[in-house]
Amino acid sequence: MDADALIQAIASSADRRAFAQLFEHFAPRVKGLLMRGGTPPDLAEELAQETLMTVWRKAALFDPAKAGASTWIATIARNLRIDHARREKRSRLSQVYEILEEEEGPEQPDAVLAGSERDSRVRVALKGLSKEQYRVVELAFLEGFSHQDVAERLSIPLGTVKSRLRLAMAHLRRHLEDLR
Amino acid sequence: MNARHLASDETLAGFAAGQLDEGMSLVVAAHLEINAAAAKALRDIEAVGGGVLAQGEAVPMLTSAEDALARLDREPDDAPGPVRASEVGLPRVLQPYDLGRWHPIGRGVAMRRVHVPGAQARVFMLRAAPGTWLPEHRHTGNEWTTILAGAYEHEYGRFARGDFDEANENHEHHPHVDAVEGCTCIVALTGEVKFRGWLGRLLQPLVRL
Repeated sequence: MDADALIQAIASSADRRAFAQLFEHFAPRVKGLLMRGGTPPDLAEELAQETLMTVWRKAALFDPAKAGASTWIATIARNLRIDHARREKRSRLSQVYEILEEEEGPEQPDAVLAGSERDSRVRVALKGLSKEQYRVVELAFLEGFSHQDVAERLSIPLGTVKSRLRLAMAHLRRHLEDLR
Repeated sequence: MNARHLASDETLAGFAAGQLDEGMSLVVAAHLEINAAAAKALRDIEAVGGGVLAQGEAVPMLTSAEDALARLDREPDDAPGPVRASEVGLPRVLQPYDLGRWHPIGRGVAMRRVHVPGAQARVFMLRAAPGTWLPEHRHTGNEWTTILAGAYEHEYGRFARGDFDEANENHEHHPHVDAVEGCTCIVALTGEVKFRGWLGRLLQPLVRL
């Protein structure tokens, strides 16, 4: 499945079959991701559906040079989760994330790894992590726990968290640097 | 040029996951907006999120693509939301927020409040004249700063436009503002700031915001 092409088909011709394919692939994964982060199943279902609906609405803004499809979809799910968590507090934080995503960015386009290439490199790199490293990466990078909180949740020393993350990050960056 | 000061991976990861306090997030966002290296580091971390999504465990959906399309069909066409006028020279990420007026808080130093409803951190902009010494101080919480223009220097190095200064309760510092360019920055603060010396004691009540 070429997710980049499916999103572009939605953008160019409101392609409902492309949407159905994306939905079947990504909605259950977004739901799983949210549930691993502690979101209750009902809410995870709702946010996963909203995530894919946002993909439909914003398909024209998808820029495969900036982020691959899974990364883009993961950031949409993240923004919706923030929105939901802070809805009562008049938070404007999701607008801040949106403004940043609209930014063209001062980076030279030819110096950037294409988003889909970056995504597949990261997938390969993640397979090279030990189970322990993977869990620490998941807690620190996806769920955004501080190093101290990760240490407490996994009942391991803070130094161990820091060294696992340092090694994992170095490993990931090595894979990403290869193509530059 | 000196080595650039980027936000730590821990801070960027917290931002990528949407877990930071809104005031702290705003100062990180200003850093990401004007510092390309930081923006790239964030994209690497977000790509990790994409990778975990791609190979993570799927949980079956109760609703289908057809349900989602039906909901989309019922939606009215998106009316563009109100666009807020932005002030020239301010980071775009400040657009959603109300800003106070500049007011002087000491010789050569002015401050402007950024109103972030729901934030625990206090957020403000600071503008200091060339050559100013800001009072020596330490913190009981975190003090995160993004330099928007000019530069300052203290015990931990020189911080210029786009840099991020991530100080925690262990830092005690005494910033000296660039003698030519002065400095404008945005700061988010948790806990208390403790100033030293007579000037600091005069400033203390003013900085309580």
